[in-house]
Amino acid sequence: MRMRHSGLVAAAAASVLVLAACGGDDDDAEGATGPGLINFYTDKGAWEPQFLDVSDVSELSLGLGLDFTGYSDADQYSAFIRQSFRTNEKPDLFTWHTGSELEDLVAEDLLAPTTHIWESAVGNGDVPEALREHFTVGEEQYCVPMNAAYWVMYYNKAIFEQYGLAEPTSWTELMTVADTLKDNGVAPFYETNILFSFVWFQTLLAGTDPELYNALSSGEASYTDPGVVAVMEQWRTMLEAGYFGDPGDQTTPQDQLKNGNVAMINFGTFLSGQLNSVAMESGTDYDFFVIPNVNAELPQTSLIFETGPMCTAKDAENETSALQYAEWWMGEEAQTTWANARGDVSFNPKALVQDQPLAELNEQSASGDYLLLERYFEATPTPVLTAALDGFSAFVTNPGDPMPILETIQAEADAYWSSEG
Amino acid sequence: MSAPATAAPPTSARGSAPREPRRRHRNTYAWPARAFSLPAVVVVAVLLYLPFLWTTWISLTEYDGLGSPEWVGLDKYRAMFDDANFLTSLRNTLLWVVGTITVPVALGLLIAMLSHGLRFGAWLRLPFLIPYAISGVAVGIVWVFVLQNGGGLSQALDAFGLPGADTRWLLDAPMNTVVMIGAAAWQQTGVNALLFVIGLQSIPREPIEAARLDGASGWRLFRHLYWPMLRPLTTVVVGLGLVASLKTFDIVWIMTQGGPGRNSETLAVTMYEETFVNSAYGSGSAVAVFLSAVTFLAAITYLRRQLSTERTV
Repeated sequence: MRMRHSGLVAAAAASVLVLAACGGDDDDAEGATGPGLINFYTDKGAWEPQFLDVSDVSELSLGLGLDFTGYSDADQYSAFIRQSFRTNEKPDLFTWHTGSELEDLVAEDLLAPTTHIWESAVGNGDVPEALREHFTVGEEQYCVPMNAAYWVMYYNKAIFEQYGLAEPTSWTELMTVADTLKDNGVAPFYETNILFSFVWFQTLLAGTDPELYNALSSGEASYTDPGVVAVMEQWRTMLEAGYFGDPGDQTTPQDQLKNGNVAMINFGTFLSGQLNSVAMESGTDYDFFVIPNVNAELPQTSLIFETGPMCTAKDAENETSALQYAEWWMGEEAQTTWANARGDVSFNPKALVQDQPLAELNEQSASGDYLLLERYFEATPTPVLTAALDGFSAFVTNPGDPMPILETIQAEADAYWSSEG
Repeated sequence: MSAPATAAPPTSARGSAPREPRRRHRNTYAWPARAFSLPAVVVVAVLLYLPFLWTTWISLTEYDGLGSPEWVGLDKYRAMFDDANFLTSLRNTLLWVVGTITVPVALGLLIAMLSHGLRFGAWLRLPFLIPYAISGVAVGIVWVFVLQNGGGLSQALDAFGLPGADTRWLLDAPMNTVVMIGAAAWQQTGVNALLFVIGLQSIPREPIEAARLDGASGWRLFRHLYWPMLRPLTTVVVGLGLVASLKTFDIVWIMTQGGPGRNSETLAVTMYEETFVNSAYGSGSAVAVFLSAVTFLAAITYLRRQLSTERTV
């Protein structure tokens, strides 16, 4: 009997504690006595340690930290963010995409403008002016850049040394390197039929006709344009010639490069961090080079550039603190910490990137030798991108006549651009 | 306790004895019973019926998950049937229905019959039952290792010098759907066998022994005795398989994500793809409503046919 009463008392006490815990919200940045916490959501769940590294620094210098929630599934994350705007729990800070996805949020008046932050950051030299257009919708800027990455060719140094290969400086040299590898039974390039199936289309078109690449993204050119068809035919020739690894191999790209399944990977500079995570050392085990243009007569080398925004929801609980955090994020202190934690480049030219090849690329990209082009994934409106990813995925799996695929993508493009007026 | 008011009505109203005033059956437990069932009714309504009504409403709109849905009537349904991806998905789902009903049901029945009455029959069935304890996601991951290009199966075929080592099991349609049905059958067969064993154990010994005395054995015994007497169990097993096959999602999502190029999608994957990947909530909801209707109609039609057949037997 005593035991039963004791159990009841314990249950009552536990209930009181649970209710007490549910009743308070200590995460409110404005109400906190110590470093405030800002709700931060991202689909880059695997990057939690790096975000928390920056959060440690921001708590010391800004008095604000990140209350991190990371999704590992981008689709679930997108649905969560979209639905959160229908609730009172709007995210203080969250990662998103530039291009049509950013425009969708602005069209519904869901984002807090960041124009004043951009003006200050551009004035301070914390961000190149050219980046601003990717965050501009109408007259205002929204969000700040979370990261920046360039798309280059990573290679396994041991394999290159084994076959006496050097970094190519022209497309012809790149093909010679590929032929040598192929003749020795090594797949030259990584290829996948999941998500990043667009990468080689992007590389071949940007390196052949960058104007057409931009026109395609803005709906001013057709996917059935002879220039696009020619690029697809070139890609098909490379696929059929055995230049690519198995597109159905679900081994991670970093492991494929480490294991020597492929000798080269056309990827964003964030791959450096992933290669470091599988115990590959920059400059010793792997290196990278800028992919030469297919068309040698182009005045500048096309360099694919990618940036992802960090946004603040309008009327979020900690909107003011979140915008303060976004402003700090663009600064030198945050970007030095972030770039080195990630093992990647930074959009902030003042950031001290420790990885020497990445630091050099960061500097070179600002020179007039390179033409920066927005990554196809962000540059293409979502419905068109979806059709393109499906088409490219099927194409790399079963190379054949590209016209039906291009016509399907163009039908989506026609529907999208006509609805956009 | 009052007698129930179940007296037969008079054959003719005219000239019959005046009817006693009908006494309402008073059940003192009715209101408390309703009160107790109310929370469950509310939960079902809120978690099942309201979302279904909401999904049906969304299927009649253009909606990207932001702002307000825009009414478009039946446009999403019309577009659905014009979409080649949907038609591929429909074809694949039919393959799943046929494959999932025939293969694991037939194998389950075979295993149950072969192990029935054996001294160590339970041990014989155990290996087939173990996969059922594994989640669909884990089954998918295991079979990806086996079936991906250069995976376990290709390596084994290569090691034994057998043909087919270069086959792209998960990339070419409709083969990728067929091999995924095989993976699902691997998981489902054991539980079907177990259900059939339960059915076999419930069959009385007398008619079996009588049939044996009359000289029936083997196929004749199975066809004329076991099979009719297993019919209630077969109805359940096939009914469950039918519903499970129509809503196939997890194993396909894990093994191919419906690709490459959406060629291995099922209706459930198409629903997910449209809703959460393409943020086309109207299109995804239209597929969801269509899938729900097909599943409901198939299950009801099948069960009504089976139960009416059983009554006439």
